[in-house]
Amino acid sequence: MMHDIAILGGGPAGMAAATEAARGGARTVLLEESLAPGGQVYRKPVFDGPDDANRRAGDALRAALAESGAEVITGARVWGLGGGPLVAQGHAPFVVSALGAEVSARALILATGTHERIIPFPGWTLPGVLGLAAATILLKAQGVLPGRRVVVAGQGPLLYAVAAKIIAGGGTVVAIVDAASTGEWARALAGLAARPDVLARGLAWRARILAARVPVFSRASVTEALGEGRINAVRIDGRIIEADALCIGHGLVPATEASRTYRAAHVHDPTLGGWVPVLDAERRTSVPGLYSAGDGSGLRGAAAAPFSGQLAARAALRDLGRVPAGPDPAAFARAARAGAAMAGMMALRPALVAAIPPDTEVCRCEGVTRAAIEDAADAGAGTMNQLKHFTRCGMGPCQGRMCGEAASALLAARRGVPVAAVGFATGRTPLRPVSMDTIIGDFAYADIPVPAPAPL
Amino acid sequence: MRAADASSARNGERLAAGASIAMVGGMSLRSTGFTRNPPIAITAFGREVAAHPGESLAAALVAAEVREFVAVCHMGVCQQCLVRVDGRLVQACLTPVAAGMVVT
Amino acid sequence: MTYDCAVIGAGVMGCTTALFLARGGMKVVLLDRGEICREASGVNAGTLTMQMTRAALVPYALRAHERWMRMPEWCDGGDVLATACPGLSVAFTPHEAAMLEERAVARRAAGAPIELISGAAAQAIEPGLADGVLLAGHCPMDGFTSAYLTGRAYRPALLNAGVTLMENTPVRGIAERFELNTAAGPVSTKRLVLAGGVWLQDMAAWLGVSLPIKVLVNQLVVTERMTPVMRTVLGVASGLLSLKQYANGSVLIGGGWQGIGDRARGGIAVNPEAFLGNIRLAAHTVPALRDARVLRAWLGLEAETADALPVIGPLDGVDDSWTIGSVHSGYTSGPFMGKILAQAILGQAPELPLFPMKRLSVRTAAPGPDAHDSQRALQ
Repeated sequence: MMHDIAILGGGPAGMAAATEAARGGARTVLLEESLAPGGQVYRKPVFDGPDDANRRAGDALRAALAESGAEVITGARVWGLGGGPLVAQGHAPFVVSALGAEVSARALILATGTHERIIPFPGWTLPGVLGLAAATILLKAQGVLPGRRVVVAGQGPLLYAVAAKIIAGGGTVVAIVDAASTGEWARALAGLAARPDVLARGLAWRARILAARVPVFSRASVTEALGEGRINAVRIDGRIIEADALCIGHGLVPATEASRTYRAAHVHDPTLGGWVPVLDAERRTSVPGLYSAGDGSGLRGAAAAPFSGQLAARAALRDLGRVPAGPDPAAFARAARAGAAMAGMMALRPALVAAIPPDTEVCRCEGVTRAAIEDAADAGAGTMNQLKHFTRCGMGPCQGRMCGEAASALLAARRGVPVAAVGFATGRTPLRPVSMDTIIGDFAYADIPVPAPAPL
Repeated sequence: MRAADASSARNGERLAAGASIAMVGGMSLRSTGFTRNPPIAITAFGREVAAHPGESLAAALVAAEVREFVAVCHMGVCQQCLVRVDGRLVQACLTPVAAGMVVT
Repeated sequence: MTYDCAVIGAGVMGCTTALFLARGGMKVVLLDRGEICREASGVNAGTLTMQMTRAALVPYALRAHERWMRMPEWCDGGDVLATACPGLSVAFTPHEAAMLEERAVARRAAGAPIELISGAAAQAIEPGLADGVLLAGHCPMDGFTSAYLTGRAYRPALLNAGVTLMENTPVRGIAERFELNTAAGPVSTKRLVLAGGVWLQDMAAWLGVSLPIKVLVNQLVVTERMTPVMRTVLGVASGLLSLKQYANGSVLIGGGWQGIGDRARGGIAVNPEAFLGNIRLAAHTVPALRDARVLRAWLGLEAETADALPVIGPLDGVDDSWTIGSVHSGYTSGPFMGKILAQAILGQAPELPLFPMKRLSVRTAAPGPDAHDSQRALQ
């Protein structure tokens, strides 16, 4: 069945976009990888747990989506993207292939969110080291603590959110290691003046952390995770602290593999988290019929995401010849201002990249060290695609999602060019590793459409 | 280039290879304040582990303190939490627990 | 300054030609609009097999195979991890067995050490092979490379030989005798080698020469690392499958199924039906692949002339200019083809005959579906 509008990703932007599209009369379908819409910030807890503001905001978006009439496909592991400009000639409807579902649509809104940036350090591949965003999922959606004695490290607001949730869940935070100075936080928090609710939540986290007497190291970083077979301590600059888990993250990165695969134009903007699709004011990409919304199109936070989803849906409705409610870029702009302050706290810190020791693995899938990346740069690798060929960096199971940020910063620094100049790996199907057995299914040999043989 | 037998960055290979899997007993890592479904039993790397229906397999393995289990992102991106469930490769973070599942 | 020779296109053909011209004493510039070996030469399946090589090219491929295996010796240590291993081409149906036999006989006559063996004998050589094989071609000296390493492998040798390497420098046109209009300004040269793969047609047009080149958009698929499931280079009688497992455990699936793309846009997307067909054929041939996870699929553009034979030799009607390309299984034969063209340009006798384009110059229209028929007529 042909849909008018498909939305990829069921976070706040995707839920709002699908709601708006369906309300506008479009035959709408939303594909979400997890078992319920919500995304990472508003992920639906699997059990009844403590109430909080995020939970209420997520429930409101879920309720609106359910009432809108949009079709929602959950558990959709999307691996294939086709149609649009990816056809032999001209332009075709978009085709999104998921395990167990295939969707065709005249317009496609990407709301694929973010993944986490972790700048490598010695020991970062030990069991027990996980991302800050990962920790929030464990804590909020699953109600599981990452460890007994946890160090929380990195940068941005997730640091304090994770620490507070661990304490609230009955766990112990043995240290918070914040790359930022208190001065940076003071300036960033000033940017939250328009959002007293967000500010109040942040202050509540701080209060909980203070009450638990958790040591907070400012302008500090984890220089090593120690342990045999599992983390048992963390080195923080000169000091060693025993810990059985380390939650660490250095900001969020827009997930742009879908817009890359569709060959949309991208621009590197550190204030938006890195590479983002080039968008007009109503969130059209350079590819006709393809739109991008939410943090996947540039970090502006969960509060701003629904507004950008609405903008994208209204643009898609208009482009399909429908007459939706007028766009309201002002609401997005207001919400985005607070998000911009937090995005600044999550921007890549070149000093952390510069501190990676030569023998530390940057690409953990393929075991490519900083030294190997710099050797390749010296040997003539000038772009991320060429670095892949020279070193296998980014060729492994995560396809560069975990290492791409650090690797491109290292490559650019070594070549003496801006990060934008080294580009990004070409987007390709499958978007994620996909089980051969699942997509092959049952078949008869005679039914394989083997083309005519090459000449002898 | 990394050789196949040294590629055990991921659990499916690392733990299936019979590595020294240790599970620390004692206090649960499940946080307070949640109302959970009654526990079921799964078998993980040769041991019986309690899990609550609804949990992701990755969360259950973290809660069970499988010492050498790696999961970095818990959102389907990093591919580090790959395990075999009843013989099939899956990402533990995207797989809900089910009674009797055998994780290797 | 004026170069003795400009080579346009830094794939395996252009790199090899430039390297041996420079070692022969010429001052050489090698230009590419992108990066060294980042098109077909860096993204192909790296298969070194006589059983997918056109019979007429077998003598060249045999010599090239040896050069790949010894690459560090002649390429200043540059290495594509070339690995020799047995090759099998299998038939599951009587029709395929007949085709296999015909092809094996022709290739054997051309010098490829291919013998026909039973399915059971093939399984003894390749325990990963499925049941149901009626007949197999066995070539004990096939092999494979890690093609993505090709640019890195050639680069230092080119620089050591004194080649001026200009990557990311598109050539926009060529003025008489010869001034190249490039993105980095004019480049002047006495001689010219066009080594542009599927873009050879556009390059010839700069000089007013019509050289129709058909574009094949070959799909490739790679799996995640997996435990060893195979140890040969494996294909099927039709040539529409190539399989190999690398030392790191990943399995590369190729065979020339056609994806979506063209000369102007490059390879832009896999064709879903061809993707499914290719991996089904792979899993039918090596059943253990069902347990794999597909990691990535991509495309490489292969060039084909009207008769599907190479254009290696003088560019018709333009003195001091040559072409090299459109070599079926060109990666396999590349390190030898570039060397013989360099020999000819340097005034030496090439080790084996070139493939001058003169035979094609009567054709002015783009080759149609009858291209292969005309080839048979030519033979």
